[in-house]
Amino acid sequence: MDLAFSEEQEMLWKSARDFLANKCPKTLVREMEEDEQGYSPELWKEMAELGWLGLPFPEKYEGGGFSFLDLIVLLEEMGRACLPGPFLSTVVLGGLPILEWGREEQKQYFLPKICKGEAILTLALTEPSARYDAASIRTSATPEGDDYLISGTKLFVPDAHIADWIICVTRTAETANPEEGITLFLVDAKSPGISTFVLRTIAGDKQCELTLEKVRVPRGNILGQLGQGWEMVKRIMEWAALAKSAEMVGGDQQVMEMTVNYAKERIQFDRPIGSFQIIQHYLADMSIDVDSARVSLYKAAWMLSEGLPCTNEISVIKGWISEAYRRVAAQAHQIHGAIGFTKDHDLELYFRRAKAGELFFGDADFHREVVAQQLGL
Amino acid sequence: MDFRFTEEEEAFRKEVRDFIQEVLQEVLPSDWQGVDPGPEEEAREEVYQLAVEIWRKLAAKGWIGLGWPKEYGGQEDLAKDWILKEELIYRGVPGMDMAVVQGDLILQFGTEEQKRRFIPPIAHGEVKYAIGMSEPNVGSELFALQLRAVEEADCFVLNGQKTWTTGFQHADWCVLYARTDPNAPKKSLGISVFLIDPKSPGITMRQITQMTGLAPFYEVFYDNVRVPKENLLGEKNGGRAIAMYAFGIERSYGLVVLHNARRYFEQLVQYCKETYTNGQPLAKDPVIRNRLAEMAIEIEVGRNLGDRLNWMTSQEILTVLPSCQIKVHGANVAQRVASLGMQILGPYGQLDEKSKWAKLGGRMKHTYLSSVALSMAGGTSEISRNIIAGRFGLGLPS
Repeated sequence: MDLAFSEEQEMLWKSARDFLANKCPKTLVREMEEDEQGYSPELWKEMAELGWLGLPFPEKYEGGGFSFLDLIVLLEEMGRACLPGPFLSTVVLGGLPILEWGREEQKQYFLPKICKGEAILTLALTEPSARYDAASIRTSATPEGDDYLISGTKLFVPDAHIADWIICVTRTAETANPEEGITLFLVDAKSPGISTFVLRTIAGDKQCELTLEKVRVPRGNILGQLGQGWEMVKRIMEWAALAKSAEMVGGDQQVMEMTVNYAKERIQFDRPIGSFQIIQHYLADMSIDVDSARVSLYKAAWMLSEGLPCTNEISVIKGWISEAYRRVAAQAHQIHGAIGFTKDHDLELYFRRAKAGELFFGDADFHREVVAQQLGL
Repeated sequence: MDFRFTEEEEAFRKEVRDFIQEVLQEVLPSDWQGVDPGPEEEAREEVYQLAVEIWRKLAAKGWIGLGWPKEYGGQEDLAKDWILKEELIYRGVPGMDMAVVQGDLILQFGTEEQKRRFIPPIAHGEVKYAIGMSEPNVGSELFALQLRAVEEADCFVLNGQKTWTTGFQHADWCVLYARTDPNAPKKSLGISVFLIDPKSPGITMRQITQMTGLAPFYEVFYDNVRVPKENLLGEKNGGRAIAMYAFGIERSYGLVVLHNARRYFEQLVQYCKETYTNGQPLAKDPVIRNRLAEMAIEIEVGRNLGDRLNWMTSQEILTVLPSCQIKVHGANVAQRVASLGMQILGPYGQLDEKSKWAKLGGRMKHTYLSSVALSMAGGTSEISRNIIAGRFGLGLPS
């Protein structure tokens, strides 16, 4: 057993922490919440130059050839910095499925563009039912000549408003088993019939309503096999849940550190409030939430990187961090007192993101159901 | 990063599992539900007899003190030592003994002569140990202890009282913390540690029965008990360091507690799969599924914390923080498993183990009652949180 970072991971997190401390101040984070695009194209370009956008892709597609575990190290720092923008959407929701199931020409077309920061991608999965189940996929793709026509409404699609390409989860056949007859398409976001509307959300991230009206997509843009999409969606959801967990662990850790520092500095009754035992015990419990989450994150990510079955481990961490981050952020507010819930203070950024993260790709109840299935219940 | 155990460790785990299988078939009754580790359940005579038998089998395997130096019969392998403990605890096999932990203290602080005298009998599974720390007025504040040891020409003379001395009735030795200097500038600087023969003249004891119905603890009275000078462990007035070391070992007790709770939890899961209400198994009830999964997650993240603790120990990284975290988390988990189990069993949960109607051998009731102690034993959860917050953890001011 060796639970230390490799030298490369050590370098990655250090450079990520330094870079984001410089380039992603909280002023930018707040500005981007209000910004129509919600990301900084200059920063995006710099991230491409650093090799971040290509991190998990093989070198032959101009990527870095790093593992999912390495990607997790980077995502943790992004969560700590509240980095706004379509990184998770492009790399995890867009790039990894293409790498896994794309035909060679699809990989050669998309992956270098992703690595170079020339294409923003996302996944359009959920619909107005707002559930992550196969039966909720009502958006239809109907064959017409060599093309398919896609129609339907997708909701809570991250970063669709700035995406160049959208992997759209559609229904190509009505069958008794809702998990059959689902197909993924690579859709050019500039296709006629597509409209996006940015929703205003708790974390000020950019989730969209995506309307597709008879959007024409060539048959060649099918990703993977016709009708076999749900198995792919399940895998993507695991990657996404794990990636989001990493951001959440990073945010959780930052909230913890901010609060410990505040408790050391804030004087009341002539002493730092961190000297009061009740505050110490709140913080002790918070540290258990944070540290247990981080090691559980690494375990799941390590298993995924090693190609080991890890459905259970991914749901353990997403189920746990969804509640732990919320608990830690709420307790951090209590310790900060009134200053923490003002717009001037950073803490509120994390409190809102804790909730958004919880809702992203399965909340704690969703993942507990997965764990229940894994227990054979 | 690599969460795998080495091939050698995996091979050892298999060997331990085979050993347990053998013990389950040869020594333990066929309806064995498992017992909690340590001396608590050894207060039942039948469990005690099994524990002694298995303890000797472990000795015959050379598995007692696996983490100890080779010259004292160990293999200097902490990973194996933990694998053995984890498997025994998880399967609820009795036989783990506090003697090993006290052996750690002797190896750390004893003279060469003491090591040669006290360690081999532990390694051979021949002796049992008790610990004398708490007193009627001394719980979390150990260094306030009052039991007096006065040095005379050839011995120390002990007077005073201990309480919560575990397993004293079976012990061959008791590691006793006593005050040798009542005028020391700080309370913690006047304490010494002795190895006491519980059969020494002047010692009397009284059983304390707990709400489980078991009586693993004793009040022990010392009336002019004479201890030879060669039984002083470490320096005179040097007990503080020994106590701190012992606390460090005890805090990984949280992991022991967690793995014990896993067994109860898995029995509960099995029960929910097999028990039908309204024509369907309890396991199909969405509320029960949710709560069992919640528990499974808490256990799993605790195990991951445990992996981290064991790895840090192997790297000789300071483990004060993670061991206290696990102490708090493990006790929480054990109490929550017990509480959930009692809720799911409903009215059956309250039945005595011997009732013909009892479910899961009545063990859920036992753990519901016994797990109350787990947030106190080996240092209260509050003391653990103080330590997490303090200079070896979050660095909060005092």
